[in-house]
Amino acid sequence: MVKKYTSMAYANADDMLFGNSKFPVKAGLGLEIGAGYTTPELNYAPRPQAGKSKEKLIKEYERITTDAMARMVQIGAPSIVLETEHVEQMTNNPEWGGAVAHAQKTIMEEYHDEYGIKCALRHTVGDIREDRDYLKLTGDKFDLLMESFEQVAKNGADLLSVESMGGKEVFDYSILRNDTAGILFGIGVLGSMDMETVWSGVADIAKKTGTVAAGDTDCAQANTAMFIAGGLLDKNLAHTIAIVARAISAGRSLCAYEAGATGPGKDCGYENTIIKSISGVPIAQEGKTSTCAHSDVMGNLTMQCCDLWSNESVEYHGEFGGTSVQCWSESLAYDCSLMNVALKTGKAKDLRDMFTLSDKYRDPQGYVLAYDNAYRVGEAIAKDGNDNYLRAKNAAVECCNIVEEGVASGKLKLTRFEINALTKVKEDLAALTDDSDKFMSDCLTKYKEEVAVFLPENYGL
Amino acid sequence: MLDLKLEDIDGILVRYNVALEKEMTPDEAAEELYPKDELIYPIAKAIYEGEEDDVIDGLKAAIDAGKDPIALINESLMVGMSVVSQLYDEGIIFLPNVMMSADAMLEGIEFCKTQTSEVPEPKGKIVCHVAEGDVHDIGKNIVAALLRASGYEVVDLGRDCPVDEVIEAVEKEKPLMVTGTALMTTTMYAFKEINDKLLEKGIKLPFACGGGAVNQDFVSQYDLGVYGEEASDAVKIANFIVENGSEIEKLREEFHKH
Ligand code: B12
Repeated sequence: MVKKYTSMAYANADDMLFGNSKFPVKAGLGLEIGAGYTTPELNYAPRPQAGKSKEKLIKEYERITTDAMARMVQIGAPSIVLETEHVEQMTNNPEWGGAVAHAQKTIMEEYHDEYGIKCALRHTVGDIREDRDYLKLTGDKFDLLMESFEQVAKNGADLLSVESMGGKEVFDYSILRNDTAGILFGIGVLGSMDMETVWSGVADIAKKTGTVAAGDTDCAQANTAMFIAGGLLDKNLAHTIAIVARAISAGRSLCAYEAGATGPGKDCGYENTIIKSISGVPIAQEGKTSTCAHSDVMGNLTMQCCDLWSNESVEYHGEFGGTSVQCWSESLAYDCSLMNVALKTGKAKDLRDMFTLSDKYRDPQGYVLAYDNAYRVGEAIAKDGNDNYLRAKNAAVECCNIVEEGVASGKLKLTRFEINALTKVKEDLAALTDDSDKFMSDCLTKYKEEVAVFLPENYGL
Repeated sequence: MLDLKLEDIDGILVRYNVALEKEMTPDEAAEELYPKDELIYPIAKAIYEGEEDDVIDGLKAAIDAGKDPIALINESLMVGMSVVSQLYDEGIIFLPNVMMSADAMLEGIEFCKTQTSEVPEPKGKIVCHVAEGDVHDIGKNIVAALLRASGYEVVDLGRDCPVDEVIEAVEKEKPLMVTGTALMTTTMYAFKEINDKLLEKGIKLPFACGGGAVNQDFVSQYDLGVYGEEASDAVKIANFIVENGSEIEKLREEFHKH
C-alpha cells in the first residue's frame, strides 16, 4: 500500500538535527539509527580482479569486513554500519550476493559477540534492469532484482537499498538540453512511478524476512545533474538547474517511504534533508569524508541532519595508514564522535548550524539544501503530497523562489549565467499545466517522439 | 539559526566563477563572431540559438537565392557551430546550448542533403564507445555531440560495448581515431584489450580514452592510448590528428598534462 505524505514530520526546521530522527530504526546487532547518536557507514568496492569468481569476491569482502571491524574496535568506536554496494555479478547471480552477505555478517557477529560493538549490514543491490539499449524495468529483470533482495535479506543483510533508475532515459536526454518539463517528467513522474513499484516489492521482502527496507536515492538523475554541474568553474550545466533537479528528486525518493521503507535513506541522496523534514525517517549522508569517491560543493553542510555518516565508496587497497577501509572508517568515526559529543554537551544545534553555514553560500545547491530552506521545499511537496507531478513541480518552484531570495539578500552570489538559467526554469515552470493528466499525455507524446530509448511500457503506460 | 554577516562570507568561501565572469553577455559575444553575409548570418544565428525551424528557413532562403546546398553545410552550418564551440571553449556559454545547437545543425545538414544528390564530405570519421560492462554514457554522449558539432562523422557504438564490436567497427569504418569512455575501475581494462587486438591486426590509430575512472597513468600503459580529461579534449585531439598526423608520441606530448 502506498500512503502519500501530506504533512510535515517536524513542526519546525529547527527541530531537525543530526543523530536524531522522528522515527528511529532498529537494525542488525544492537544498533538504533537516528536514536540520539550518529554512526559511521563505511562503503567500499572490491578490487577489479576480485570480481572474477564468487570465491574471490567472498574472500575480498571478508578481508574488507575484518579490516573495518578491527579498526573500529582499535579506536573505540561504539557503532558502525557496513554498506556493500553490489558489483553487477552479485545482483545478477543472487546467490553470490547472498553468500557475500552471509560471510560479512558472520564476521560482524563475531565482533559483536566479543566486543559488544553495535553494527548492521546494508546491502545495496545493483539496479540491473537495463540492457545495452533500453531500460527493462519490468519482467524478468525486475524479478531478478527482487530475488537478489530476498537472497541478501535471508543471508544476513539488515538494511535493504537500491539506487533505482526509473525515468533516467528521459532525464538523460532532457538534462543536456535544459528541458525543464523533461527533467520534471523523468524524475518527478516516471521516477516516482517506478519507485512505488520497486519499493512496494522491497517492503514486502523486508517484512517477510524481518529486515529493514531502508531507502533509495536519486543518484541516477539528481546526482548525474550534480556531477555534470561539477565545480564552480565547470561549464556543463548551471548549478541552479542542478538544484532544481535535486528539489524535484525529493518527491521521487520520498516514494520509498510511502511504499513502506523506513530509512535510513541512502548516503548519496543529497535530497535526504528534505525527505527527513517530511517523513521523519533517519538518513545517511556523505560529504567531506567521501572525497575518496567524488568532489562536491557542500562537504560540511550535509552533516547537518545526518544519522549515518558515509564515505560513499572507496576501492579496497593499501594506504600508509592501513587499508583504505580502515582509513576512511576511522575518519568517519571521528566525525561521528564530534557530533555525538555535541549532542551530549547540549551544543548540537550550534554545531549543526556551523556545518550548514560553512557551505550555505558556497553554491545554490548548498543554499537550498541548508536545513531551513530544505524544510520549505518539504512543505511545498507535502502541500500536494497526493499528486506526484504537482508535488514535484511545487518543489521546483519553491527551489527557484529560495534561490532568488538568497540572491536578493546579497549573501548568495550567482553568475549572470546561473541567474539566467534560473529565470528560464522559472518561466518554464510557470508555463506548465496544473493538471497532472494533461502533463502526462503531453509528455508521453513529446518524449515518445524525441527520445528513441523511451519505452512507455516500462511504466505500464 | 546562526548566520554569517554579509561581510564575513568572503573569508569563508570565494565564488570564483562570479569573480571571473566575463563582462560581455553570450549574445553580444556571439554577435561579434557571426559572418556578415546576409544570407549566412541568419543561419549561423539560428544555429547559435538552437532554433531548428529558423535554421531550415534560413537554408531555404539561401538555396532560393542560388547557394549550393552542400557548400552551405560548411559555409553556414559549420560556421554557426564554430561560433558556438568557440564560446563554449571560452566559458561564455554552457553545454546545453552546445547540445541544442548541435541538434539544430544536424537537422540542417539532413535538410541540405535532401536538396541535392551530392554527398557532403565530413572532416573525418570517429568511432565512439563506452567500455564493455559500463552503462555510464553521459560523458560519451557529450563527447559524441561535441565531435559532431565540430564536423566529424561519429559512429556511436553506445554503451556496454563488447571489445570485438569496437574492433569490427574500426576495421569497417577506418576512422581517424576511436574514443573510449569508462567510469568504473572494473571496466576500463577493456581498453587494454582493444589496444592489443587492434595491434594484433596491425591496426595503429589513436585511441582517445577518458571518463571518470580513467587517468593518464592508466592510458599510458597501452601503446595506442591518448588520455583526455574533458569532453572538449576529444575534439582537440581529433583536430590535432587532422593537422599534425596520428603519431601517438606527439599526441601524448600535447595532451598528457599530468
Ligand atoms: C550518474 C552515475 C550513474 C548513473 C549513470 C547514468 C548514465 N546514463 O550515465 C547510473 C545510476 C546508471 C549509475 C549506475 C552505476 N554506477 Co554510477 N555513477 C554515476 C556518477 C554519480 C556520475 C557519473 C557521471 O555521469 N558524471 C558526469 C559525466 C559527464 O562525466 P564523465 O562521464 O566522466 O565524462 C566527462 C569526462 O570524463 C570526459 N570524458 C568522458 N569520456 C571521454 C572520452 C574522451 C576520449 C575524452 C577526451 C574525454 C571524455 O568528458 C566528460 C565531460 O567533460 C558517478 C560518480 C563519480 N564520481 O563519477 C558514479 C560512479 C561512476 N558509479 C559507480 C557505480 C559503482 C555504479 C553502479 C555499479 C552502481 C550499482 N551498484 O548499481 C552502476 C553501474 C552499472 C554499470 N554496469 O555500469 C561508481 C564506480 C566505482 C568504480 N568501480 O569505479 C562511481 C564512481 C560512484 C562511486 N563513487 O562509487 N551511475
